[in-house]
Amino acid sequence: MSRPSILTAENLSKNYNGLLVLKGVSLAMESGEFVSLVGKSGCGKTTLLSILSGLERPTEGKVVLNGKEITAASEDDLALFRRENVGFVFQSFNLIPTLSAWENVALPLFPVKMAREQRRKRAVELLEMMEMGHRLDHLPWALSGGEKQRVAIARALINSPKIIFADEPTGNLDSRTGEAIMDILSRLNREEGVAILMVTHEQEVASKAERIIRMHDGEVVS
Amino acid sequence: MDLRYLFKELYHQQRRTLASILGLSVGIALLIILNAVSIAYREAAHAPLREIGADITVQRAGDVPEELTGAVFPCSAVTIRKEEVETIQAIAGVQGVGRALLLWVFDPERVSILLGIETESSLGPAILRFSVTEGRFLDRGRPEAMVDVAFARQFGIRVGDTLPLAGKKFPVVGIVDASQAAKIAVANVYLSLQEAQALAVSSKQLQSVSPFDPDDVNLLFIKTEQERIKDVAASLREIMGKKSQVATPDSFLKLLGSLFAISEKFTMAASLAAILVAGLMAFKTMAGNIAERAREIGVLKAVGWTHRDVVAQMMAESVTQSLVAGIMGILIAFAGALGLGFTQVSIPIPWEMSPTPHFLPGGGEQIFKTIRLPMHIPWTLAGFAMLLSILIGGMTGGLLGRHISRIKPSEVLRHE
Repeated sequence: MSRPSILTAENLSKNYNGLLVLKGVSLAMESGEFVSLVGKSGCGKTTLLSILSGLERPTEGKVVLNGKEITAASEDDLALFRRENVGFVFQSFNLIPTLSAWENVALPLFPVKMAREQRRKRAVELLEMMEMGHRLDHLPWALSGGEKQRVAIARALINSPKIIFADEPTGNLDSRTGEAIMDILSRLNREEGVAILMVTHEQEVASKAERIIRMHDGEVVS
Repeated sequence: MDLRYLFKELYHQQRRTLASILGLSVGIALLIILNAVSIAYREAAHAPLREIGADITVQRAGDVPEELTGAVFPCSAVTIRKEEVETIQAIAGVQGVGRALLLWVFDPERVSILLGIETESSLGPAILRFSVTEGRFLDRGRPEAMVDVAFARQFGIRVGDTLPLAGKKFPVVGIVDASQAAKIAVANVYLSLQEAQALAVSSKQLQSVSPFDPDDVNLLFIKTEQERIKDVAASLREIMGKKSQVATPDSFLKLLGSLFAISEKFTMAASLAAILVAGLMAFKTMAGNIAERAREIGVLKAVGWTHRDVVAQMMAESVTQSLVAGIMGILIAFAGALGLGFTQVSIPIPWEMSPTPHFLPGGGEQIFKTIRLPMHIPWTLAGFAMLLSILIGGMTGGLLGRHISRIKPSEVLRHE
């Protein structure tokens, strides 16, 4: 039985100052699906991920994410949509250096009217799920690369998103730590039903996904 | 806006925070100190008049007597008619008028500066009642004299002696030390106003220069409502005519020669320059700080912070810094004011108010009233500076927050 669609992209193009980096890309993802987006450096993977997640607008085409056409939404609507529906995991972790691990996890909830204890409770639950319960109050500089990425994954989960966009999540990690992070992402996909779209250039990492989409020179080739 | 994030950001980014706070606090301190110094000079300029309970003194210049014998008017102070005094008392804003009569008495043995005073008045030289060192103060209308301590020492005059003055004799009832008093309205010999008026009326020399009736005087000490000093001074000049000499605190300020004293505009311009520089420094520092955080802002936006959330956070951070800068600026200014309070300022007394004939030894020298600069910081000034600091912080945070929140997360979050 096919699963409902979580993401549909139709005929996406992106032009940066005359340079066409995406050329009529169309793709679809089902809820709970784990998809890898692979291709050589500069082929447009990250640009596509940014457009699909609502961080960037396409020059042409449309994206429907979790039932909402995000290409037509305003900046603030997009921000609110991302807060409620999307999680991000970046290669460089992108943690706030002045905030502790649990505060980084709770960061998306800071503008939300919510008791501090409630926020902390949710953040602690997620960090414990990531086996980071012993590092709650540590600042990012005191964490290893793997620990930082675990904190970043916990942050991506704070609003119970339907989909996580991961951009080279193991790119800054050694192979062993990278494997551990991939195990976490796989478990989240398998046990929590979170859809994952992951950009990577490593074949081994990509193979953890259910489906691999290959890109070349701004186009989806398979 | 999240307070926890705000305080952790300010605490952990100490270099950024301190640079912003220090720049602004120095500007705020400068603004306060410049204005406080200006206020202090203005208050210092009030001191000579305030010590005799007045805000304005009035006299009228006249001619030099042909012959210096007996009682004569100083050329800077000739007759002020009783009717003129009555008109002055009716000017709106005038709260009180003290009268005195200043004479130079040329006797064969010595020259005396004589001042006739209203013994029961709270305005003018009757304030000397608190400076009597020996004997007693004058009684109203009694033919008796009080002598300055230096004059008494020079001529060996003691309480109980009889002092000849312009052909009359006055028992000396007291010795007064006017050295610590205001440098205006002081003399060698003091009589009650009535006795001095009687001497003036009977002096042919004096009458030939400026006719004088028994109730006339030649010095007035006027107390006015503070905010109407300038208006009252203008009315006085109109009533007294071209030769009037009306001294207000501004007259002393002009002689002080300090930039702070001369011009409110200078203080205003310097304050504005200080605050402009401080504001620009704060803006530049905060702009640098925020630019360094472009990636962080990108993360905030990526995880769902709206434009408004980002601006509110940036504004809250800069307002908090400016609040601390305001407090620090006020504290620095208080410390500066404390230090400057030890400065002594010498206020020149206008020559026409100097009682000593210029042809006598020391008579041509400039007289100064030396006091400590009365430094204090009014709460209104501190409050204004604090508000200004917060306003600068709010505007800086708002402008920079609006600018930085336009950043596209995808532009700053692309992996290396």
